[in-house]
Amino acid sequence: MTSTRVGFNRSRLRGAALSLACVLLCACSGQQSAITPQGPVADRIAWFFWIMTGVAGAILALVLFLLLAGVFRGRQQAQSKPLTYIQSRNLVLVSGVVMPVAVLLGFTLFSAMTDRVVAKPLPADALTVEIIGHQWWWEVHYLDNRQRRIATTANEIHIPVGRPVRLLLKATDVIHSFWVPNLSGKTDMIPGKTNTGWLQADQPGTFRGQCVEFCGLQHARMAFWVEAQPAGEFQSWLARQREPAAAPDDPVLARGQAVFLASQCVMCHAVRGTRALGRVAPDLTHFGGRRTLAAASVPNSRGHLAGWILDPQGIKPGNFMPPTALAPDDLSALLDYLHSLK
Amino acid sequence: MTSHERIQAIDSSEEIRLLTEVWRSPPGFFGWFTHVNQTSVGKRFIITGFVFFILGGVLALLMRLQLATPENEFLNPDLYNQIFTMHGITMMFLFAVPIMEGFAIYIIPLMLGTRDMSFPRLNAFGYYVYLIAGAAMYLSLFLGMAPAVGWFAYPPLADAKHSPGMGVDFYATVVTFMEISALVAAVELIVTIFKQRAPGMSLNRMPLFVWSILVMSFMIVFAMPPLMVTSIMLALDRTVGAHFFTPGSGDPLLWQHLFWFFGHPEVYIIFVPALGMISSIIITFTRRPIFGYTALVLSLVATGFIGFGLWVHHMYTTGLPHLAANFFTAASSMIAIPSGVQVFCWLASLWGTRPRFATPLLYVLGFFFIFVIGGLSGVMVASVPFDTQVHDTYFLVAHFHYVLIGGAVFPLFGGLYYWYPKLTGRLMSEGLGKASFWLTFIGFNLTFFPMHYLGLQGMPRRVYTYLEPLGWGDLNLFVSLSSGLLAVGFLATFVNVFRSLKRGRPAGDNPWDADSLEWGTASPPPPYNFRYIPVVMGRYPLWEHLKNQEVPVVTGIRSDRRELLVTSLLDAHPESRSKMPGPTVWPLLLALAVGIGFGGFIFHNIFPVVGFILSFIAIVGWFWPRQLAREAREESS
Amino acid sequence: MNGTFSVLDASKLPSHAFEHRSPLWWGIIGLIVIEATVFASLVASFFYLRSNFPQWPPDGTRSPELLKPTLATLVLLASAIPMYWADSSLKQGKTFPLKVGPLISIALALVFLAMKVVEYRDIGFRWDTHAYGSVVWTIVGFHSAHVLALVLKTAVVTTLAWRNYFNRKRRIGVTVNGLYWYFVVIIWIPLYMTIYWASYFLSN
Repeated sequence: MTSTRVGFNRSRLRGAALSLACVLLCACSGQQSAITPQGPVADRIAWFFWIMTGVAGAILALVLFLLLAGVFRGRQQAQSKPLTYIQSRNLVLVSGVVMPVAVLLGFTLFSAMTDRVVAKPLPADALTVEIIGHQWWWEVHYLDNRQRRIATTANEIHIPVGRPVRLLLKATDVIHSFWVPNLSGKTDMIPGKTNTGWLQADQPGTFRGQCVEFCGLQHARMAFWVEAQPAGEFQSWLARQREPAAAPDDPVLARGQAVFLASQCVMCHAVRGTRALGRVAPDLTHFGGRRTLAAASVPNSRGHLAGWILDPQGIKPGNFMPPTALAPDDLSALLDYLHSLK
Repeated sequence: MTSHERIQAIDSSEEIRLLTEVWRSPPGFFGWFTHVNQTSVGKRFIITGFVFFILGGVLALLMRLQLATPENEFLNPDLYNQIFTMHGITMMFLFAVPIMEGFAIYIIPLMLGTRDMSFPRLNAFGYYVYLIAGAAMYLSLFLGMAPAVGWFAYPPLADAKHSPGMGVDFYATVVTFMEISALVAAVELIVTIFKQRAPGMSLNRMPLFVWSILVMSFMIVFAMPPLMVTSIMLALDRTVGAHFFTPGSGDPLLWQHLFWFFGHPEVYIIFVPALGMISSIIITFTRRPIFGYTALVLSLVATGFIGFGLWVHHMYTTGLPHLAANFFTAASSMIAIPSGVQVFCWLASLWGTRPRFATPLLYVLGFFFIFVIGGLSGVMVASVPFDTQVHDTYFLVAHFHYVLIGGAVFPLFGGLYYWYPKLTGRLMSEGLGKASFWLTFIGFNLTFFPMHYLGLQGMPRRVYTYLEPLGWGDLNLFVSLSSGLLAVGFLATFVNVFRSLKRGRPAGDNPWDADSLEWGTASPPPPYNFRYIPVVMGRYPLWEHLKNQEVPVVTGIRSDRRELLVTSLLDAHPESRSKMPGPTVWPLLLALAVGIGFGGFIFHNIFPVVGFILSFIAIVGWFWPRQLAREAREESS
Repeated sequence: MNGTFSVLDASKLPSHAFEHRSPLWWGIIGLIVIEATVFASLVASFFYLRSNFPQWPPDGTRSPELLKPTLATLVLLASAIPMYWADSSLKQGKTFPLKVGPLISIALALVFLAMKVVEYRDIGFRWDTHAYGSVVWTIVGFHSAHVLALVLKTAVVTTLAWRNYFNRKRRIGVTVNGLYWYFVVIIWIPLYMTIYWASYFLSN
């Protein structure tokens, strides 16, 4: 328990120093940052990073000091005074062999110790999330203890605070890589393979993740959000996600649903509880609750959604969603319907 | 060295006329295609390499323009992806390796005191293959169908389904071509270094630059074939439906293993020759023997070996077993030990010697600063857990530019200032050189140091844009502005190169009072390199000649045909005279035939067969002995 | 100005070098090392791909037959003998074996190629059937292309031999042609063991 407390203090102290540095250097949001850790894995790695940086800085200073001292030393004297053989040999042996060997031994051990945290086996009953990378969005499934899919969403992952979450990482088309720097390092998603990883958030918050393996045209716009919630809030969110979409309870929404079901949307998208069962694009059953559109490219506002439906290529050129032409009334009803899917 | 005869060698103008006539390259436009002399081919490699450096640099500036502000629309995503892919291909395949080979091809025979490379026609062939590959690559860019899959072209993204255009076909072909060119140069350099050193230049008297080129060449011989195999596999997957990398049947990771088994040594292939340049420059500008010759040689060799054991550290995030990955952490950090030994040997050599602060030495001092930072961040990313946070982010972009620009381009520019007088007979302007150095040095650090921070703040590589709320905008703008400064710095050197061609101070044979044999002949060297092949008595032959007030040489090599001296591998004991081929057009024809075979494969399956037949004809034409009878008569006499 | 002194008169050195004294010999060694690395990469890929399949060769593909490929291998091995005969006779100045030996070698190599063509015409899988097919066809195709190139190259050498180009001194061309022939023959042994024996014995 002491270690937790130390870790907490440490990260608070570092957090303060960092936010100062952040303000000084640039206005980075810190929501996708490896040095603003919010979970145990990222925390250990960030700690390791600062230690390495300190040691590296010292080594750099030493080498530069020796270089400048050595080069300018002779300059002030009338005669050149090269090192004797013994002096040279000692310099090379001590700074070129003994020092690197010692530093590297320490480094390798420290790295392996840090890696033990990263590769820690999780308890069998840990929450498991299966994430499938697509060009250019994320399919997310929540699994129960028997590894059956119980809920499906896209481009947004909710996790309970303080609990480790096991990740099953897959891809169907090309290689992607899953990364939430505030919480953990990245793991590739390789077609034909299942990689595993884990992450955990120590405090509630929202963190951004992004694909970090070049995956084609819109690699830059393949991001997602992770929302860490207190356990109770998470459980109720998950329970809602497991439900099919509620039937529309007013005429506008009913019209919106009719527009949706009559459109080409259903070829690719699913809304559970209706006959829209498309599987090649994000599941929209609880679409209204999501923060963003097009894999965290734009906010999920009414205006953006309208733009996205009418002209997806204008927002994210080259993505696989075709434009849909709709009359203004139909569009308006469709927007209402989609945003009602909470 | 046995020295029985000590007759004074007499220069007769008739002999010099004969030598010039025999070794001359034919003038004129058509003559250009028949050159085989190493000075001619080497210069072509160097010039072409710098042209590609400038092109790659322009691409980099375009990328920086695009990234200067969030959600910029200067370049569309497809074009941006093509550009960053081409930037990588250009810098790795079309600039870095060929230019190191170019300097080696030009300098090594001069340093060894010989008149040409072992296989001059093969040398010319390698150049044409390189030229064809580079031209094809840029043709694809100008046609808007360049590959957009990164220089590493991971399948399945690079397969026929996900990259249907011809870009990746160009990529696979060009890569294979560049491998051929590099392998040819490597074999030749090895054989030239083994068999054509001046008498007395035993292995332990070889200049360190020669050692570094020897190590580079051996690395090429073992690193490039796997890439050739894998790029051919990719081509087969794409064109005839093979399944090497198909998920489920083949394995996308097979590509990554083979690619990085080449790709990691590739970095050292670029970096090791630069180490040799640094040693040359330090020796010359301190005017003293270097400290730790043996340690430096062993470090070069060790770097060459260790370079092959590190490829997995490019694959830490692919889900490998952690124990194996941690083994590669230890292996990767081992490379820091030979690097440390070298850095401190150079420091010991510089210490207190009041070196001359000419431009080449400035670049070497700049190297120390930049390379040490790159090396330290390199050790950091060798750690598995840390790498999972910075892999494929701008931290990595910063790291490898520190290593490649600091470790290879800075020494290369130092080498350019250092050897330019040998190539052209004139010195480059020191004032402009120093200005260029400082601009480059400051511009470089301002451009790339902030990228470390961007990477830690989550910015991935290879993104054509980023959103404003992420807050990366200010720093990216700063980086983009700094890259302009860096570009001006490089530009200043190229201006210097052109201005000095006419206006530079005449250099004379040995403007730097250097020690190695390339400075023992005229600048630029005559077509036959040396009137007499010098005999070497120590590690620093010109200094020894100066001390002894005499130059021991070899006489009796025929002047009425291209002939040079072959010596033994270890001791450089004279063994035989070897007749060298003269100007010929066959290397060009063979390069074209191979080009038709590989390049045509992009369009139709019949072309490899056509290429095979044409290549066979070209090879027969190449080797068929002309004037059978005359040669037979000569031999019997 | 320094004096230039001759300490060595090269005119007495021979103008021909043999074996490892000749740069060309080293050049061919370089080529052989490169090619060996190429084949090693292919063999490594074969075993790497094998680890992806529960069964090897994959479902629906028979384990390779061993008899005919073994006979073909023996034929190829035999082709090196007349080559060696020609090469070593020339060292003693005998030029006749050089006119005949390579012809026998060429004939044997052609028999080998013909056997490969027959074998792969009804092997039952293609390069686009599965990864096993891709790697086997690539290895065999690549090696056969080498044998074919060798045949053509040797034909040229033999033509020159009939025109009395080679003699005891000028024989480096024959030496390196022989070296390359031995290489292509010897490299077939590990390739043969990989695609036939390994496929056969690792089949489960």
